[in-house]
Amino acid sequence: MFSAPDSYPIDLPTFHSEINLPYTLTPGRAAGTFLAEVKNRRIVASRFASGQVVAPAQDFSSTGGEEPEAFVEAPHTGVLTAFTRVDGQVIGFIRLDGCDNDFPHRILAELDDLSIGQRVEAAWDDSVEQSILAVKGFKPAPDAPLGTVKPLETMEEPLGVIPYAMKLDYEHAYGPYYGRMFDEIRENGRFMGVRSPGSDVALLPPREIDDVAHSRTGTWKACEDTGTIRGCSIINMEVYGQTRKVPYVYAEIVLDGASTRMIHVIEIDSLEEAKEKIKPGTRVRAVWTQGERKGRVSDIERFEVIEE
Amino acid sequence: MGRHVGIVGVGQTHHARRRTDVSQAGLVREAVDRALADAKLSMEDIDTVVVATGPVLFAAVNQPEKWVVDAIGAQGKSVVRLTSGGGAGFAGALAGYYQVAGGFSERTLVVAYDKLSEGQLQYSISTLYDPFWGREFAVGIMGFSAAYWRARMDVLGHTEEAAAMVAAKNRKNAIANPYAHVKKEVSVEDVLNSKPLCWPIKLLDVPPISDGAAAIVLSSEKMAHHSTSRPAWIRGMAYCCEADNAPERSLMLSEPLAIASRQVYRAAGITNPRRQFDVVEVQEPYSCFELNYYESLGLCPPGQAAELMASGATQLDGDIPVNPSGGCMGANPIGAVGVIRLIEAATQVMGKNESHQIKDAKTALVQSGGGWANLRGCAVLSA
Repeated sequence: MFSAPDSYPIDLPTFHSEINLPYTLTPGRAAGTFLAEVKNRRIVASRFASGQVVAPAQDFSSTGGEEPEAFVEAPHTGVLTAFTRVDGQVIGFIRLDGCDNDFPHRILAELDDLSIGQRVEAAWDDSVEQSILAVKGFKPAPDAPLGTVKPLETMEEPLGVIPYAMKLDYEHAYGPYYGRMFDEIRENGRFMGVRSPGSDVALLPPREIDDVAHSRTGTWKACEDTGTIRGCSIINMEVYGQTRKVPYVYAEIVLDGASTRMIHVIEIDSLEEAKEKIKPGTRVRAVWTQGERKGRVSDIERFEVIEE
Repeated sequence: MGRHVGIVGVGQTHHARRRTDVSQAGLVREAVDRALADAKLSMEDIDTVVVATGPVLFAAVNQPEKWVVDAIGAQGKSVVRLTSGGGAGFAGALAGYYQVAGGFSERTLVVAYDKLSEGQLQYSISTLYDPFWGREFAVGIMGFSAAYWRARMDVLGHTEEAAAMVAAKNRKNAIANPYAHVKKEVSVEDVLNSKPLCWPIKLLDVPPISDGAAAIVLSSEKMAHHSTSRPAWIRGMAYCCEADNAPERSLMLSEPLAIASRQVYRAAGITNPRRQFDVVEVQEPYSCFELNYYESLGLCPPGQAAELMASGATQLDGDIPVNPSGGCMGANPIGAVGVIRLIEAATQVMGKNESHQIKDAKTALVQSGGGWANLRGCAVLSA
């Protein structure tokens, strides 16, 4: 394997990438009812045939998987069963009066003022609906009377869908092969691969071990700006996260001098014309961006068909 | 060789575009209850559990098996969670098969699901691409599937019309499938005239996006009789894989599927697939995939898939019906599909298929996989 000398720096620039995703989550009947009822300042719990009461409400028992016999209303008071502090915020486990489980929430107090077994009471946030954060947190309530679990005669329709989003940031390490390839793209505006053993065609992107021969790859080689389409499709649908305007061509292109395909796009005026003009075997040329190169594949803005 | 393993109970949800009445865990529970009831068993009889789903990004829950285990009453059992893109369900079944075949379990429950209404399908799939090299231009699985099909069109004659025939066949077959949610007959012309999405892939070449779950109970020979007098025995099963972008990687055939089918046919004693199989169930996320499978699975020589389709041989009344259930065109909860195909084939050889029972079906072929060509598996089931 590639062995770097001890003097080789290990703290190198990384490749930033982001994944941003919107969701429409389905909470199910129990959690959906709980979330619908917080606006009425009610904490919905599940009561199982065994007599166990679990808050917030769950669709299935965590002991045997059975479904609840009824949804009930849990009191707003309980005891603190565990706590810690994270980023200045105290988080604790609460066991509501009459319930058989602990669940986590914010504790609205200083760490030094807390003890296990202490009485607490829910503090509501009127600005929040459809979220467990409608309960802003639990505050110490030493004199709060013992609450009881009450039947829930009428209740809101469960929420079917909860909007949600995730944004994930990554810093990928390039490694020596991708590192040099992207440096060459940025500095010299060229795509460099490495030769397969005993061959003059380059693997692009470059890699340490040849996938077919399973032996070390050879020397570096600059590939041409021109290439041949091996496969292509005409993208005519809008999907989330797309950066190009439809229609355009998604193409798998083998650059001259390389043996492997790269993915890129070709701009088109019309779908019908592209069907005729752009196909496997079509020759194409890279069009580099006009601005500063950043060391990414998108430093090639697009490919264009070579008119011959 | 390990011990004989049979499918002795099956269950699937009534798949839908969107189920807002149940959570992911609730969806799984429905399929598991049905599979256990079908096998005349309760969770107490199950030794080990395999939970299979598509990528976490599909529905934003990491380690969903912890949630699922509570919902199916399997707390404390040995649980393996497995994901392998579109082939997740099939890979999960293979993991379960190994457990029973290896003697580590008498009965294993495999449950597979996806709740695709919750996330951004194509964008999530695009994250499977190398973040450095290609992801920024990826169009989920549809972009490159269409590109590969376009390449095959010229060399292998997988025409738009042949793929449209696949779509029309499977969509028609799905009408009788009680678990499918897209049930509308379309003509070959309708498919050809439908909106290009990633041309050559058009709207009616594409299956629906679905919420659904499917479960099977795998049993050793010793315990199988408690559930059924006619298990669907697994005669061979394999799932093979290769990386993207290897040199010399062919756009024309799936090498992993060719390797998997060679292994499985040898284990099952299949020398003439076209004659020996009574029915075939394949995972065809786009109609063009099915043409490729005809060739990769040896139902016809390379370049003759369009001819095989046009001959009618793969229709319900043909000599080798493919996807009597309607395949993915009726429902496509991706992570569950590998198990759904196993269920449809198992019930054929058990003589209790609910869509279109093929008369006297004794030997069935199942294919499943993820990606365009790089994760592929197959299995042979027989009565």
